[in-house]
Amino acid sequence: MKTQSPRALLGKLFGASAKGIAIENSLLTGYAKVGGKDVCVIGTCNGTYIGNASALRLAAQVIECIERRPRTPIVMLVDSAGQEPNRADEMLGLASYFGHLLGCLELARRKGHRLITIATGKAVGGAFLCYGMFADRIYALESASVGLMPIAAMSAVTKIPAPVLQKLSKTMPSLEFGAKPFALLGGVEEVWPASGDLQARLAKAIATATVDDNRAALGKKRGGRKLALDIRNRVLAQSAK
Amino acid sequence: MEKFTKAFPSKPLKTTAGKPWALAGVVGSGNLEVLVERGGRPSDAMECHIETSIPGYKASWLAALADFAHHYPAGGTKVTINDQGAPPVLVTLRLRQAYDHLVKGSK
Amino acid sequence: MTRGPLFHEQTARQRIAAVVDRGSFDELLPPPERLTSPYLAQLGIPVSFDDGVVIGRARIGGKKVYLAAQVGQFVGGAVGEIHGAKLTGLFKAAARDRVPCVLIVESGGVRLHEGSAGEIAIAETMRAIFECRALKVPTIAVIGTDIGAYGGIGILSTCCDFRVMTEHGRLGISGPIVIEKWMGKKAYDSSNRALVWKTSGGKTKYLLGDAEALVHDDAGAVREAIGKLLAKSSPVTLKNVKARQKDLEKRLKRFGKTGDPDDVWKGMGVRDVARASLASGPEFAAMAKAGRR
Repeated sequence: MKTQSPRALLGKLFGASAKGIAIENSLLTGYAKVGGKDVCVIGTCNGTYIGNASALRLAAQVIECIERRPRTPIVMLVDSAGQEPNRADEMLGLASYFGHLLGCLELARRKGHRLITIATGKAVGGAFLCYGMFADRIYALESASVGLMPIAAMSAVTKIPAPVLQKLSKTMPSLEFGAKPFALLGGVEEVWPASGDLQARLAKAIATATVDDNRAALGKKRGGRKLALDIRNRVLAQSAK
Repeated sequence: MEKFTKAFPSKPLKTTAGKPWALAGVVGSGNLEVLVERGGRPSDAMECHIETSIPGYKASWLAALADFAHHYPAGGTKVTINDQGAPPVLVTLRLRQAYDHLVKGSK
Repeated sequence: MTRGPLFHEQTARQRIAAVVDRGSFDELLPPPERLTSPYLAQLGIPVSFDDGVVIGRARIGGKKVYLAAQVGQFVGGAVGEIHGAKLTGLFKAAARDRVPCVLIVESGGVRLHEGSAGEIAIAETMRAIFECRALKVPTIAVIGTDIGAYGGIGILSTCCDFRVMTEHGRLGISGPIVIEKWMGKKAYDSSNRALVWKTSGGKTKYLLGDAEALVHDDAGAVREAIGKLLAKSSPVTLKNVKARQKDLEKRLKRFGKTGDPDDVWKGMGVRDVARASLASGPEFAAMAKAGRR
């Protein structure tokens, strides 16, 4: 499934209406329909890297949607290997460009646009944090590579032998890489099999999304991230005294 | 990691004023954090819990802690240490700092 | 004149004590609660009672604040599950109580030893920061150390209303060593400190408008800068995001082709680059302002 073209995937998600989505430099922008209703689409494909210019392009699309298509849900597709380690982009404020994109999405949320993410390919690092993880609800295709980094990479950086991490990941899904363990942490609402009816799933996702951030609660319920919710609540309780 | 626990005879803390706990140091390479709390048991001993990333130095730890408990009235305190390879002189310094904060309430 | 340790030399707890009104800090989830990382324990790595972030409430100039300070010495100030949940809770408490929230940043981003849990925690904290902003509750990131604000914490810092930096502070996503590995030593020599700081340091960030204040490497100066921002906020409105979009487009158009930070400095009004390099933060800010006139 990983080899399917971006166009083929868009077709599966949006049917004939996918023609309203432009693909330029592996960036997706445009409008399509889900269950007969308009949606705005922003995203990445081909595992591209995100830099200042691409963050701005996506932000421009979000602003346009807010101005011209009030309350239209925004679907964010994520297939990006991360931010490109690039000195010029860093110098000009890559973090600020990402922060701006997040600000635009926040404005959309406040103005009544539902935000739905589908991790379709690579959904890692800064590229996932700078828009996809900011949705109201986040979904992932079964085949998507979701998470911080694969165990081999984690081992290379931390100098902890890969077999040790591998073994620990059996009881700590946070260390494992992929859509399913990420869902155990609450980071993904639901993992979608590529073979199913994605249009129906997406329509349901849009219809049921709420703005509350339910990830910590999900992570506790699913057992993959047992501490986050309790610690947060403890801060809230102690600070209320 | 090596862990051990031991209580060292010590005269009871002189004052009940001051803070309920005090912390000195930071866990980082060649450094440690020392948490000293009131309410250790028994009241004529300094209760110690050590976790260190460098195994094999239990004897010198015990000597340093026994020495501290002997020289300062620290009975009824509970000392908990997270260590990342601090040199002995730093261990004693952090103990002193945490103890001083506890009894004087200074921060 | 006597002076205490510089801001970048202080520990997180020292920074808090020096920035807030004397004795006003009340720590939340303090060390005796022993909320330590089960991940690190399993990996045989030393844990810390505060999991690398000290949080609580205090007063600055008599005004109530929520405050967090990351502990750079502890695993690079990186965000694990507990660390991140403390931050999320703090910003949520700030939103609930309509009290400004200050984050003294010192973090390379996600704590790799805890995998994706830290990444999600950063995303959750971003949501909580924007909760504050929607309520016009000021959020301020202070970036004043070599470790600086990197990775997810670099992005998170840009989500706050304001950033206070010193010339020691660095703000970015990928660190110089990562970029050097990626682009080669010719394109970015990570051992060239001057270049590294001109790329990601406080001076350049201030010039570009990504930091609202550039102050001395001193807790008193940081405190003063925070005090000035506590009554302000930068709401996320259509007008503001459109202005920001324009500004960032302009920046990219103007400087996107150059790899040389000196071009940015000159373009932003710094006439004497050599002298500006040696100037303190406030002197630098004054020079840039004079040059733009």
